[in-house]
Amino acid sequence: MTLHTAIVKAEEDKISLEKAKEFIISKKNGAESIFIGKVRNENSGKKVTAVTYDVHDQAVIKSFQSICNDAKTKFDKSSSIFLEHTKGYVPVGEISILIAVSSGHRDEAFKICRYILEEIKHKSPIWKKEHYTEGNEEWLPGHSLRPKEEIK
Amino acid sequence: MEIQLKLYGSSKMLSDKEILNVDLPNNSNIKKLRSALSKIISRKYLKNNLENLSKTAAFLSEADEVINDNYKLKNKELISIIPPIGGG
Repeated sequence: MTLHTAIVKAEEDKISLEKAKEFIISKKNGAESIFIGKVRNENSGKKVTAVTYDVHDQAVIKSFQSICNDAKTKFDKSSSIFLEHTKGYVPVGEISILIAVSSGHRDEAFKICRYILEEIKHKSPIWKKEHYTEGNEEWLPGHSLRPKEEIK
Repeated sequence: MEIQLKLYGSSKMLSDKEILNVDLPNNSNIKKLRSALSKIISRKYLKNNLENLSKTAAFLSEADEVINDNYKLKNKELISIIPPIGGG
């Protein structure tokens, strides 16, 4: 098996870097690239304490698998990919997304990692609500999945 | 007729529950749902927060397929509202 995708419920489990490293190990693949996204403590001048991630589970898993398979076809069919995204309340400093890739060569490993991240931002139904030090909270704006020509 | 709208992201401001029941004229389509949504947003004084939601949201069927404005809704159908996304 060379592809793993999952949504991790923050209140039950944490995304594991060790699990990701173990999954992508392959004697055929000499290059490994790992991207870790964490909740940061500032956004647009506001002090952030945590982010709540809302996820449409089935549609997200479907999109993850499609994006990863596209990446394999585009860059390296023999690559191994591990992709997990969190769901729920995630405090500052904790992991929200982890993409780990092993590939034959470094260029493909970097490209696959970057490709997956950018595609997720435009295709996977995931939303962020930021929580601030003042006690208020805000849903962040995003990218509409409705075709542009239909939005008047 | 009535449809069940499963709320995600910013649309959760519309209700404390996960699902919002929306009354619509019989034989309504997604376009009619957008118009009903716009009225609900005004009624709940959420125009400042959700001003463009009825225009920018996409909708998913129970089969998790994006459905267009001409999609004919069925009574009691469960539809997911997909506000603009931004994960990662």
